[in-house]
Amino acid sequence: MPTDEILAVEGLNVAYGESKVLFDVSIHINANEIVSCVGRNGAGKSTLLRTISGFVKPTSGTVMFADTSLVGIKCYDIARMGLKYIPQDKKVFSDLTVRENLELGSYATQDYNWDKVTEYFPKLTLLMERKAGYLSGGERQMLMIGRALLGDPKVLLVDEPTEGLAPSIVAQLQNVFLELSKKAALVIVEQNLSLVSAISQRVYAVKEGRVVHEISDEGEIKNNVCEKYL
Amino acid sequence: MDPQLLISGVIFGLSIGSVFFLLSIGLSLCFGLMRIISLDQLLYYAIGAYITYTLYLVTGSVWIGVLGGMVISGIVAFGVERFIFLRIYERDITFTMIASFGILFAGVGAIKYIWGLAPLPVPSPINAMASIFGTEIPIYRLIVIVISFLVYVSIWAFLNKTITGKAIRAGIENVEHVEGLGINVYKLFTTTFIISGVLSGLAGGLHAPLIMVDPQMGLEVLPFVFMVVIIGGLGSIKGTLVSAFIVGQVISLGAIIYGPLAQMAPFAIMLLILLIKPTGLYGSKMLKR
Repeated sequence: MPTDEILAVEGLNVAYGESKVLFDVSIHINANEIVSCVGRNGAGKSTLLRTISGFVKPTSGTVMFADTSLVGIKCYDIARMGLKYIPQDKKVFSDLTVRENLELGSYATQDYNWDKVTEYFPKLTLLMERKAGYLSGGERQMLMIGRALLGDPKVLLVDEPTEGLAPSIVAQLQNVFLELSKKAALVIVEQNLSLVSAISQRVYAVKEGRVVHEISDEGEIKNNVCEKYL
Repeated sequence: MDPQLLISGVIFGLSIGSVFFLLSIGLSLCFGLMRIISLDQLLYYAIGAYITYTLYLVTGSVWIGVLGGMVISGIVAFGVERFIFLRIYERDITFTMIASFGILFAGVGAIKYIWGLAPLPVPSPINAMASIFGTEIPIYRLIVIVISFLVYVSIWAFLNKTITGKAIRAGIENVEHVEGLGINVYKLFTTTFIISGVLSGLAGGLHAPLIMVDPQMGLEVLPFVFMVVIIGGLGSIKGTLVSAFIVGQVISLGAIIYGPLAQMAPFAIMLLILLIKPTGLYGSKMLKR
């Protein structure tokens, strides 16, 4: 593995029962890089993130995180190793307060420094005692990302973070992702091309379970070349 | 209705409701967190009663028996979780339910082998009576009610004030997200299973002086426990408490009004509540399939 490479997926095949979802997928992520995966609904992007983070077992292939193979490791151990998955559903623990949601993040990682969370999302400071079920979609996304930041992850896998959010929140998240990339690598599954073009250093286009194109040219990314894959 | 009969009926209903509550917590928590229907809790209930009987014979103290029953039930529950459920958590809910039913039947067979088929008596640890509005009530029944309230408060405090309890509540909402944070949910499963087994054992130990201890005692309360968790809403401790007392009162007062009502009325109440609120009184929409 090259020295600056932090995550390498090689020849990944995934199936749900008889139905094959990913076909020989290979991607690599460098430290402090923002890489986006674009593609239509059902292309296999979320499955790719869920497989990397240990929620789905691959039928074959390798996932290397730094120098450690992640295949066969439990998802909670992968999270503790510093690879966090932020799912698309924006489901926080609605019966728990914002503070309790963060406490669980701290409990898992033994990292009780919440300044790093409130630094990116100062609004959460005002919402600490509110039940998470009463948060708006944007606030939920802030809480989910904030929760994942505890333990100083080295890679964040973020699944459709801007889906259904107001443009002002999307702009805020864009800045947060750029700031976060100074400390961690980000793999973002996204259909919002303006966000993809604004923050990505590389883009993987996923179609019908295969990586069909890798775009690393800055000009091509800015010109939304990947639009044809949506 | 004779007021004295009514008062004694209400107290009887509260005490039987207390036993149902203690027994149903395990089923409710196990479904809420692990999505399993843990019918084997009824085995730990019977074990709690039998250990109470045995330790009473050895030590002469029913209370030591109850404590011993809780410990042994917790140990058996831990063993069952480690050797059986840990291997099948990810299987379909029907599979785990059938497995738990099998464990219950195997356990009943073991109880018959160890203690025999004949019903066994456990004396009440306190024979004194208390007068409530002129009605003589056995103090032991009042103690059972108080213990169940203390357990409710303890469980509430555990789930709301400790980090493990908060993780269990979070897991009841979404196990996968708890894992995603880096929390080993299988440790939570084991903790929950042991707590459930201990409380089922407590239910059996407390119930033993009120009934005759027999190998089928778990199966005999099965329909009522089902009713309690369904009426209260799976996964809800508060719902379990409220519905246990509803079922207890319906059985008790129903028997006073007309004998067969004690068996029939709880089912009618359950059907009525499910018609109005299909998730049960305090059931979460998130647990709907």
